[in-house]
This record gives sequence, structure tokens and C-alpha cells, in this order.
Amino acid sequence: MLRYLTSRIVATFVMALLATLIVFLIVSLVPGDPVLSQLGDMAASNPEIVKAYRAKWGLDLPLYEQYWIFLTRLLNGDLGISITSQRPVMADIAQYAPATIELGTIAFILSVVIGVPFGIAAAVARDSWIDHSARFISLIGVSSPVFWLAFIMLTVFYGWLQIAPGPGRLDPIDLPPPRVTGAFLIDSALASRWDLLHTAVAHLVLPSIVLCAATLGLITRTTRASMLDTLGQDYVRVARAKGLRERAVIVAHALPNALIPVVTLGGLAYANLLTGTVMTETIFSWPGLGLYTFRSALALDIPAIMGMTLVFAFVYLLINLLVDLSYAVLDPRVLKR
Amino acid sequence: MSEASAPILDATPFEPRARTSGQRWRRRYGLAVIGAAIIVIWIVVALAAPLLAHYPPHAVDVTVRLLPPSAAHWLGTDPLGRDVYSRLLFGARVSLFAGITVVVLGAIFGTLLGGIAAYAGGRIEEGLMRFTDLMLCFPPIILAMAIAAAMGIGTINTMIAMLIVWWPKFARLARSLVLVQRSQEYVEAAHLIGYGPSRVLLKHILPNSIGPLIVLVTLDVGHAIIVFSGLSFLGLGVVPPTPEWGAMVSENRELVEQWWGATFPGLAILTVVMGFNFLGDGIRDWLDPRARRR
Amino acid sequence: MNHVRILPVTRRDVMRLLGIGGGAAIGASLPGFEALAQSRKETLVIGMDIRDTNNLDPARDLHYTPPMTIHACYDTLLTMTPGDYINLKPALATKWARTPDGKGWRFTLRDNVKFVTGNTMTAQDVKYSLDRVNYIGYQASQYLTNVTEVKVIDDKTIDVMLKNPAEPILTILAAPSFSITDSKLVAANGGDATTDSKTKDKATEWLNQTSVGTGPYKLAEWQRGSQIQLVANPSYWGGKPPYQRVVVRHFEDAAAQLLSLRRGDIDCAFNLLPEQIATLKGEKDIGVEGHASLDFIYIALSHNPEFNKALAVKEARQAIAHAIDYDGIIKNLIGGAGTRPVSFIPTGLLGSTEKLTQEIGFREDIPRAKQLLQKAGFPDGFEFEIIYGNGAIAGTTYHVLGQKLQSDLARVGIKLKLGPMPQVNLRTLYNGGKMSATLVYWNPPAVENALWSWATVQRVAKRLHWTPPADLVKLVDAAAVETDQKKAEQLYIEYQKQMVDVANLIVLFQPIYQVGVRRSIKDFPLTAAGWQLDVGGVKPS
Repeated sequence: MLRYLTSRIVATFVMALLATLIVFLIVSLVPGDPVLSQLGDMAASNPEIVKAYRAKWGLDLPLYEQYWIFLTRLLNGDLGISITSQRPVMADIAQYAPATIELGTIAFILSVVIGVPFGIAAAVARDSWIDHSARFISLIGVSSPVFWLAFIMLTVFYGWLQIAPGPGRLDPIDLPPPRVTGAFLIDSALASRWDLLHTAVAHLVLPSIVLCAATLGLITRTTRASMLDTLGQDYVRVARAKGLRERAVIVAHALPNALIPVVTLGGLAYANLLTGTVMTETIFSWPGLGLYTFRSALALDIPAIMGMTLVFAFVYLLINLLVDLSYAVLDPRVLKR
Repeated sequence: MSEASAPILDATPFEPRARTSGQRWRRRYGLAVIGAAIIVIWIVVALAAPLLAHYPPHAVDVTVRLLPPSAAHWLGTDPLGRDVYSRLLFGARVSLFAGITVVVLGAIFGTLLGGIAAYAGGRIEEGLMRFTDLMLCFPPIILAMAIAAAMGIGTINTMIAMLIVWWPKFARLARSLVLVQRSQEYVEAAHLIGYGPSRVLLKHILPNSIGPLIVLVTLDVGHAIIVFSGLSFLGLGVVPPTPEWGAMVSENRELVEQWWGATFPGLAILTVVMGFNFLGDGIRDWLDPRARRR
Repeated sequence: MNHVRILPVTRRDVMRLLGIGGGAAIGASLPGFEALAQSRKETLVIGMDIRDTNNLDPARDLHYTPPMTIHACYDTLLTMTPGDYINLKPALATKWARTPDGKGWRFTLRDNVKFVTGNTMTAQDVKYSLDRVNYIGYQASQYLTNVTEVKVIDDKTIDVMLKNPAEPILTILAAPSFSITDSKLVAANGGDATTDSKTKDKATEWLNQTSVGTGPYKLAEWQRGSQIQLVANPSYWGGKPPYQRVVVRHFEDAAAQLLSLRRGDIDCAFNLLPEQIATLKGEKDIGVEGHASLDFIYIALSHNPEFNKALAVKEARQAIAHAIDYDGIIKNLIGGAGTRPVSFIPTGLLGSTEKLTQEIGFREDIPRAKQLLQKAGFPDGFEFEIIYGNGAIAGTTYHVLGQKLQSDLARVGIKLKLGPMPQVNLRTLYNGGKMSATLVYWNPPAVENALWSWATVQRVAKRLHWTPPADLVKLVDAAAVETDQKKAEQLYIEYQKQMVDVANLIVLFQPIYQVGVRRSIKDFPLTAAGWQLDVGGVKPS
């Protein structure tokens, strides 16, 4: 077990290192020269200023040296300085992350709270209308382009029906609650600002529905498949043969086992959901990592793109590691491979 | 962007109620037939776009911009006075071409790599699969954004960016399929007869593993169309004036009053992706041995 | 307060749910709805796309939207009133005249002006602020290259000495970059105004969260990517500001801005599309304020035959200029919200009017364009690539404009290849002179005719691989130092005629800002001088 553990952790670490190399190589091949655009027209025609600027950001060194600098800085938690915001990428990420985590978490909870019962119902009542509508709804969910769904939702519920608030995390006039966690739901509660809490909740409704559309389908279908698998297992048949009531069989025997794959998949679904925020946040003017990533890509803000790609990659790696380890715990056969 | 693939690959032996076979067939494969029909319709539309369109897709006329749907312009006009209906039809070509090409090339490349890895074993397998894992740890849309931004905007560049992030899941699936097949008796028999590894891999193992691959390919075309149109929507996809659905939504999304410009291309994406998902889902059910047993 | 009730839960319900009781306690911790409604009236909410705002330090300002905020918080020595960009008005300086030796300008400062920090503004602060801009070496410092020294004469008098005393400086000093800051506080928070300030100055991060100016408002908080909050400066020398608070709310897209304006969540919306402006006309609660800007969108064509053989030929460039449907662009694409100058001097400035454009400017003339192509040696047309950024501009996008140009030029057989790209790449290629053609906008960092005309024969010419004729360069220099307005005007008209003949810079239009404003606002002084809106002059009705 210990050997497996260490080997997985070491492997993850090596992968993380390689990921930094890949990210570094991609952005090094970018044709754009950020110097000119950031200094402005006139300063850029002054070679001395340009030279000083390149030296400041280490843009004049050979590639491998740039990579080495990048790596040593990374180990100190320094992702460089964003060219567009002109401050550390880490500071940008720290600022934008809470908004994304808040939105992502709410959307995830939403898809689990709806998806799991829906999936169970679909499995228990197989081939019934519940099953078929679950299938149909999940397929629609996976098929909707997020950017379009967001547009339609905003137009209909904010523009036409006027029952939902507009883009952003709060109404334009609201001052945000004093920052403790950066998540407005928590911060406004801590500050006893119930009016803000209310506004923040209202503002979360549309984007989280849009964001959970695809994940909801995934969770519903996984739950259904896994539940069906479990219901066919011998021990469930035995339980049923013992004369237990169907409800007891499902809740006490089948469900716990059926949820194991859902839990592990849930981790990956959560990571996926965070990347789905690029579109959602762009349309809902949600000041989070998705919007930040999008803007950085459009502006070719190299340190920011590097930082964000790496952050997402690290999250994936970490979740993968956790999934692997949890499999090892749940299913010892893995260790023998 | 979801990875709605691997976990759904199994159905189960449990079945509480029996139904007549006709009903069940309709219930189970009805969606697949609808899906296939949708795809066929869109492919026909794409091929026949020049015949069906009322105007050339690039015909600009700013004096008729942003007209609502009418007899002259079935789906209205866009900010440059172009006919949305005509652009929509031509857009089918771009989306279908991009989606299918990326997935098919990604599948071929990924499958070969995964197959070779599984078959070769040892260091080669370890190396190849670690590389696959490495690529998989980047969220596709983010990495594609980074690459597309780096390489410059353009249909082909965007497709290359997608391809770079697309093959790994096929490599993983192919490897696991080959691992299962390799231990089967018929493969050992083929070895004993003296067939070379490449012949065994291509002639014996691949045909037997093709089912799940086809399912993944079908489901993935839909996914690829969404990602491609998403990148176009973000301005990292096609070069204007190429009629592409995601770009069309993007060009019109701020025009709330002129809802037609963004709504119809979005519906087009939704239907074509639904088609592939319905079909893929149906094929999965049909291929799944446990599901067929009943 | 326009709260949206999406859930059937009131604030009280939530509190009850959370077990927080006691009406008195609630009353104490929360302002009542009436109070909120009151505070809404005392708050000006501006809806604007401020994604380009990356700092609010006057010395490091180089983007489009920050000047509005900077101008609300700081004052300059001189200023310009909306609509008049030729005659300067006093601001922190009440008088200005040539120095006794004639080599610079002497400014007399206004008495008893206090910074929002409580300190009194002195000549020392002026010197510090201008030096800091100069030595930090950002965009604005480039406009001070003619300045040799800023000299403190006494507490109320300051001299700005010049290399070439004839070259303009007063108009430049009216730009928000040359705002006067409280030198004591800036220096105490990492500021540096010595020759080393390029590396030593660390005050920007601090200036991003507070302001130390003499303006009507004070920066209270800037939440990146979301909003900027200002509060009134009660000791403002120009009188008590009309609003308690000002919020500049960021909007990623125009549709949401329109909806928020309609619902009264915001008081004005800056980034509406022409179609949206059209729908606003006739609405009871919302009016549209227009103001001609001094920005313009133009095409630049390179003379370098290595990039494109055809574009190197004058007649071919002229053919392009005659094949463009200018009226269609202005009337239809931007809903009539624009004018068109002859060349690189915006209308509204000395020697540039719309009438002049009718007389000597480019006009759409397809047969003429075809003739010119014949003469250029490309009777069947030619192909060239135009690069542009992927952003929005003046209610449309480069993307839409590019496609319009493409279809216009196709009429005379010229094939236009579109090259959209991130702004960074565009700047790299354009500033480096590595493109055959580009579609970009020009906005004035400071309002001074010479800054435009110099640009065309100096750095823009370099990017286009064009050696301007010596006569033209001389003409531009002469116009810059001409003190007789009549004569200067004639010189600038002659300059524009020559630019039309060269046809390497084709101005498509000069936008008129169209801002949706709720009728709860009485005065809304838009300006083209570089800061879009005189926030301090906005008054409720």
C-alpha cells in the first residue's frame, strides 16, 4: 500500500513538472511580442525603454534559462506578473478564485442534489417514463452549447420576464461584503448583511443552472448505470430474497455501493465544471477565473495564460491522484497491478 | 465541457419489468433512430447548401441589416445584412467538417498509440501512457484556447489545437480494450499460429474492440462540435466571414431585441449535437452485451 | 433599491430561518429600505465596459477608460470644457504666461486648494507630479520630451521650461495623465519622482485603491473586473459634489448594459449598440446623450513592396479609398453616430470640418476606383491582407467593419483577406511595421493638432515604410509652431490635402458617443478631451 502510495505521488509530481514544461513550450512559441502592446505606442518606439522592459521580465534570455527562472519562481508560488493587470498572477488568481469556486460549488451541489435522486429513480423504475425522461434530459443537457444556453437564459429571464437579476455577483449599487473568504454567500452572512446574501443568492441562480446543465446529465447517467449494476449483484438479490422491502433493499444495500463510482466521478466532474466556467462567466460578467482566463487568452497575456493552464492542470492531477488513491482503498485489487 | 463517456459504457442485467419486444425496441432505439435522422438531415443540408440557400452566405448589404424573419429572409438578417438562413446552411458544412475531422483523426491517432502501448507493454507502454495522462491533465478547452491563441486564429489552426487535446482519451480507451482482448484465447491462438504482432493487432484485436470506440467517436463528434463552436464564439475559431454557428451566436449575442441572429445558430448546434448524442447512446445500448442478453 | 426577488423569501424570512431574532437588533444592523432608496438617489451608477482598466495611477495611465476615473479624482493645471478643444480653461492654475526669458511657461496656482487628504496643494506637488510622470517612462512621459525642467519659483508659482519653446505644451498638460497628486502621501507610499523612478516607484498598487487628488471625488475601492467605487470629496474647491457616491460598474456586454439601464440599476450606459440606441428613442425615462469624439477608426496601408506589391503603388491605394462605402458604414453600421474627417485631424479641431471632408476628402466612386486600378497596373484588382484586433469599437466591431470592407472592395475586384488577432499581436505587427494593412483606432492622449500631424510624418510613417516628402514634414512643423490661428488653419488644410493624395491613411469615421442616460440625471457633460465624461459635472434633476 505504502509503495503504491509513494509511487503515485511521485508520478503525480513528475507529471506536474512535465506539465509546466509543456505549458512553457506552448507559450514560448507565441508570435506576439507583449512588450509593444503594454508600453503603448510611443514608449515602444524608444529602444531603450523596450530593452529595459524585456530585461525586467527576462524576455531577453535564452529559452532554457527563461524556463529555469519560471520554474524556480513557481516553486516560490510566483507565477509571474500578468501583463494586462500588471500585478502578480497569483494575486489575480487569489482574487478571482472565490467567485469561481462559489459558482462552481453551487452548480455542483445543484447537479448532485438533482442528478443522484433522478438517477436512482431512473434505475429503480427502469424503462418507465422517469427513466426515459432522465435519459432525454441528460442528453439535452450534454448537447446544449453553454454559451448559447447562457445567452438564452439571460435574455428570457432577465430581459423579457424580468424575474432574474442581471449579470454580475451583486446589483450594481451594492458594495460587496467585507472580504473574508471572497465567497459572497459566506462573507455577507458573516457580516450579517442579509440583504446582500439575498442578492448574492439571486445572482447565482441563472449562472449555476447554466453551468450544471452538462454535469447534471453526467451525474444522472452515472448514478443510473451504477445503481443498475448494483441492483443486479448477488448480495442485493439475496437481500431481496430474504424478503426485505424493496425500499430497504435500495436504501440500505444497493445505494451505498452504487454511489462509490459517483463519488469518484464527482471529483472529475467538479474539475470539469470549473473549466466550463470560461463560457458561463464570460456571458454573466462573473468576475472569476473563467472570465480571467478568457480575457488573458484574448489579450495574449502570457504569464496569466501560463498560470491558469497550470492551475487547472494541477487541480486535475490532484483530483486524479485522489481518485486513484480512493480506488486503492475501495478496491484492493488495484494494488496488485 | 463534460466527459460524458466512460462511465456510461455499461448497462446492466437487472430488469424489474418485462415488456413486449416491439415496445422496448422503440423505447430503447427510438432516440437512436431520431438521432441518425437528424444527422442525415444535417449532412444533406450541408452538402446541398448552395441549392437550398437563398443568398450567397457572404452577401453583405448594410441597408437591410437586422431585419426580422420574413418571407424574403426566413430567419432574418444579421448586422451586415446577410441572410441568417443561408449562413446557417453553409455553417453546417464548417461545423460538421470540423467536428468529424477532429474526432476521426484524434481517434485514429489515439487508438494506434493506445493499441501499440498495450500491445508492446513494458517501458514503451509506460512512456506512452504517461504522456497520454499528461495531456489528459489539461482541460481541453483551456489548452485549446492557449494553443489557438498562440497559433493564430483560423479554422485549420483551431482544429489542430483541438486535435492536440483530443487524442488522449482514445489512447486510454484503446489501451484498456486491447488489454482485455490480448488475454483472450483467440489472440493467443493467433500468436501460436505465428501471426506477427501488427497483424494480430489490426486484424484480430481492433475489430473486436471497435464497438466502444465507435460509441465514443459518435458521442464525441457532438462534443467536438460544441468545443469548436465555443472557441469560435470566443473569437479563437474561424476567420470571418466564414459562416460558423458559434461565431454567428457571438456576432449577434448582444442584440437582445434582434433575437433571431443568435437563437437560430444556437438551435442548429443543439440539434446536431443532440443527433450525435442520441445515436451514440443508442449504439452503446445495442453493442452492450449485457444489455443485449435480455 | 431595485432588488430582484427571485425567491419567495424576504430578508426577514432568511433571518428567522437562521435564528437571528430581535427586530431592534435588525433595525440597528441594517439600514432600512427607505434609507437604501435614499442612498440610491445619492449614488451615480455608470455602466461601462472597463475591462481595459489595469491601473488608476495617473502616471501610468495608457488605456481608454481609466482617464474618466482619474479625472474625477484629480485635477490638472489647465483643462478643457466639453465641446471646446481649442481654448484652454483654468483649473489648478489660474493664470499662465510665458516665462520672462520666453523659454517656457509660468503657471500661477489657485489659492487654498486642499487635497482630499487635507494637505494644501503647493508648487512642490506640481513639480513632484510632473517629474514622476516624466521619469516613470510610461506612455505619457513621451509627451514631455520637449520639457527640460519643472522649476518651483515659490509656493504658488511654477515654471515649465522647454527645449523648443514654440512647440505646444499647454494642451498636453490638460490630459489626465498630468494630474496633480499629493506629493507627501505618494512619497510616503512608495512613490518616487527622481530619475530612478522607473525602477524605484512602487506607489501604483497603493494608488489603485485610493486617490490623493484635488478632484470632486475620491477613489474608495476598485474591484478588478467588477467595479470602481468613488465617494464625494466634501472639501472640493469647486463646491460640494452632487452625489455622495459614484459607482463605475463593469459590463462585459452591451445587452446587459441596456437591460440594467432600462430597469434603473444603472443611471447611464456607455457601450450601447446603434440598434439599442434606436430602441431607446421615445422612451419616457431614458434619453440619449451624444457627443462627437476625437477618436477615429482608420485603415493604414504599408508602402513596403515586399509585403504587397500593389499597395506600394499610390494609385492602388487611392483605388481602395474610392471603393469604400463610407456612407453605408456611418449611416447603417453605426446608426449615423459618426462623422468623417478628411485625414488624420479629427473634425472639431483647427482646420478640420465635415464640410471640408465633402470638398477634399475621399469619396465613394467606383468608376474612378476602377480607373485608378487601371492606372496602377492592376486592372483586375489585387489581393491584400488587413489585420485588426478582436474587440468592439464605437457600437460595432472590427470584425463587422472588416467584413463590410471586404464586400465593398470586392466590387472593384480587390480581394481583402481578413486577419483578426489579439490586440497584442496586432500592436506587435503594426508598431513594428510588419503588416501590409491594418484597421485600428486612434484616440488622443491629449488634444493638440500637432500630436496628430506629427504622428503621421514620424512614427506612423515609419511603420508604413513611408518617407514623407521633406516639404510635408516642413509644413507640419510650421503648422505646429504657428501662433496665428487663421494661418495655422490654412497650413493644416494644406497638410490634409497632401495626405489625401498619398492615401496611406484612410479614416473611416469619427464616432459620436451615444450614451443612454436616465432622466433622473439633468446634466451629463460628455467630453472628447480624453476622459469621456466630466464626472464632477453630472447633476441629478
